[in-house]
Amino acid sequence: MFPSELAHEFDQCIKCGLCQATCPVCKELLLEKYTPRGKIQLARRYGKDGIDASQHLSDIYARCLLCGACTVTCPSGVDLRKVFLGMRERIAGKRGIHPAVKNAVQSISAHHNISDEDNQERAEWSDSLKDLPAHFLDKGHAEVVYFVGCVASFFPMVQSIPGNMVQIMAQAKVDFAVLGGEEWCCGFPLVGAGAPAQMEELIRHNLDRVKALGAREMVFSCPTCYCTWKEYYKSYLNLYHSTEFLDKMIGERRLILKEITGIVTYHDPCDLGRNCGVFDAPRRILKAVPGLKLVELENNRLKSVCCGGGGNVEMVDPDLSGAVAQKKLQEIQRTGANIVVTSCQQCIRTIKGKARKQKLDLEVVDVTEIILKAMA
Amino acid sequence: MLSESTKAELRSIVGAPWFLDTPEDLVSYSYDGFLPEFMPEGVVLPGTSEEISKIMQLANRDKFPVTPRGAGTNICGGSVAKEGGLVMAFHRMNRILEIDSDNMCAVVQPGVVNADLQKAAAGQGLLYPPDPASMFVSTIGGNVALNAAGPRGVKYGATKDYLLGLEVVLPRGDIIRTGGKTLKNVTGYDLTRLMCGSEGTLGIITEITLRLVPMPPAKATLQAIFSNLDDAAQTVSSIIGSGIVPTTLELIDRVVLDVIGNYGGAQLRKDAEALLLIEVDGEPMLVQAQGERIEKFCKERGATEVERARTPEEAEKLWQARRTAFGAVASLRPNCIVEDATVPVKRLPDIIRKIVELADKYRLKIGVLAHAGDGNLHPLIMTDMRDLDEMDRVEKALGEMYEAALAMGGTLSGEHGIGIAKKRFLTMEFGEPALEIMRGIKKVFDPNNVLNPGSFLY
Repeated sequence: MFPSELAHEFDQCIKCGLCQATCPVCKELLLEKYTPRGKIQLARRYGKDGIDASQHLSDIYARCLLCGACTVTCPSGVDLRKVFLGMRERIAGKRGIHPAVKNAVQSISAHHNISDEDNQERAEWSDSLKDLPAHFLDKGHAEVVYFVGCVASFFPMVQSIPGNMVQIMAQAKVDFAVLGGEEWCCGFPLVGAGAPAQMEELIRHNLDRVKALGAREMVFSCPTCYCTWKEYYKSYLNLYHSTEFLDKMIGERRLILKEITGIVTYHDPCDLGRNCGVFDAPRRILKAVPGLKLVELENNRLKSVCCGGGGNVEMVDPDLSGAVAQKKLQEIQRTGANIVVTSCQQCIRTIKGKARKQKLDLEVVDVTEIILKAMA
Repeated sequence: MLSESTKAELRSIVGAPWFLDTPEDLVSYSYDGFLPEFMPEGVVLPGTSEEISKIMQLANRDKFPVTPRGAGTNICGGSVAKEGGLVMAFHRMNRILEIDSDNMCAVVQPGVVNADLQKAAAGQGLLYPPDPASMFVSTIGGNVALNAAGPRGVKYGATKDYLLGLEVVLPRGDIIRTGGKTLKNVTGYDLTRLMCGSEGTLGIITEITLRLVPMPPAKATLQAIFSNLDDAAQTVSSIIGSGIVPTTLELIDRVVLDVIGNYGGAQLRKDAEALLLIEVDGEPMLVQAQGERIEKFCKERGATEVERARTPEEAEKLWQARRTAFGAVASLRPNCIVEDATVPVKRLPDIIRKIVELADKYRLKIGVLAHAGDGNLHPLIMTDMRDLDEMDRVEKALGEMYEAALAMGGTLSGEHGIGIAKKRFLTMEFGEPALEIMRGIKKVFDPNNVLNPGSFLY
């Protein structure tokens, strides 16, 4: 049987089906089994009516972006995302991790990152940076630890994000450190793969390293790492997403921003917005840049639609991820803005990747890039 | 039972990917928005009317049931396979074929989502008025089959009022067309209207021609709070009687307001016994004047508070209580039975009084949400189906409520349909001669009773 808290969730489902209205996956895949309601009902029937930990069932739950749109749409307050993660865990426990995400999970266990690379390469992004405070990678003590995250550490398309962030913090004279090779994956890919129990070692290690530096605050530019620390790490630390930290520094007048003219739109990353409730900070930052005009997307804040990059779907079904990204791109284009700002490296990869393939005249940038530019 | 050879034929008709019979697929088409569930033996997703025609010929030859299903949001059990067989889903037939602004109409396939049509129509300055609560999910095919309506029904009516023509695959496989793009059409029996609300028992709707209206340029939204439920109900019938036709006139009673408050929704003043949400639309000058008149009406009839939205954001805020209501009520107890009895608007105060009395008599928790402007009530019975004693009391209360509604000149169902939810009460509204005619109609269309058997008549 399920843990009673999960059973409580799907007992609450009244089968109204309204969750389908906002699910980006079922808009592409149409069949009822891919709708949030379908996935809830399959969870409820698990162990009955021929529903067991089949590959088919595993494929169904793997086709979820974990964007949380259904959870905020549900009139009965069912925490659908929690049930879907619970089902992934249950299926993985029975038949093993979904084959498409196995490599990432093995890489985490071997190298402590999702990229199957030597973890000592984590700070490669900083090699070309100049004028940085000495030893920010090798400090004995720091007030703030900046947690870079696997994707921004290893994927060239988004390695500029940590570069921007450390330059901003250096100019604002923040006493910060980066863990480099001692930063291990936050563990969320394991949660997404249905193997949260394997996180323990990662959590312990990361907490120990931060503690050893005597830090009291942490900054994340990856919304998923940020969410994971908030939800799974029991810590005394003050956790900030980069947008909250920048917002705070702007409020304290530690950053002086010059004019940049242009029209931008802002994409709320699911994990930062819907799943962690950070909507205002990024908007305040953009509004603090003189000359910058923000036009909202049709679906913004709680209603923001996933870019297609969530939930490991990119690994399981790249076409599905691409189709969701395509809709996002169309929504962005409808605003008329030729710059889309966001605050998640994964959203940038997904949206920029799609825009590039179509040779669109669209800049896709992280909010740190805008701020660094405005500080120049 | 669907034999393996029948399944093979079905696969050859629609293409192998569009016939589903894995346990995962069967389970996910075994339910709709109503409570009982039935496992189908297969799910078929046709792409054309011709495929549907072949499937129906096969169903008649091999005598297996076919149950059409849109988005499965109905709350009467209309789209579940009550006697097994096939569920036919229209995911693939989901194109808007035409928005014809010259003729003010749209032609769509059955799987088009209501809100998508509304959006496409709005793009040309047109409105498709029927707005069931499920409009962001439910399909036009399902809306026609159940003659769906929503809050805008007071002024704009139901799906039937916008239905101009259909293409239908009959249960034996013939394909017919009824009506067309003309507003007027008196040729022959009105088969278009007959199909509308027939709950998928007479034919499979494969193409729909719908009338559109100009998008009203302005709207006023008001909320009035009453410390006496009767005053609120009286206000409703006097607004309607005054010559103003509101777009929407919704009522929420105290039971529901309390649940909303506890759910974290809008907290209203403690003496609130009822809330009215009123909208009018049309030309800006007219809307302004009507808004003022309605405000005056409410105050004269005892409203303790009247709020009028000045911006679309304020209007949205006023809608918040109404939008939260169903979810809040649904999550209070394990089950929630959404009732649909409807009376002439003048009798609204009487039927509400009756419901309050029944809740008390049978010790039940019943809240009232109502599309009050058209007398369409949604008593919400918060219950637990595992409690047999309580279910017995629910059944008695339902019987007495329908009896009262019918005595007032009303009906069992305003907009949700009969399906399996109210089948047992049908004889209260119709005598044997009327039922005999309906059974005869069903027989003419579907002599082998293969289409949606188990729904309301058979």
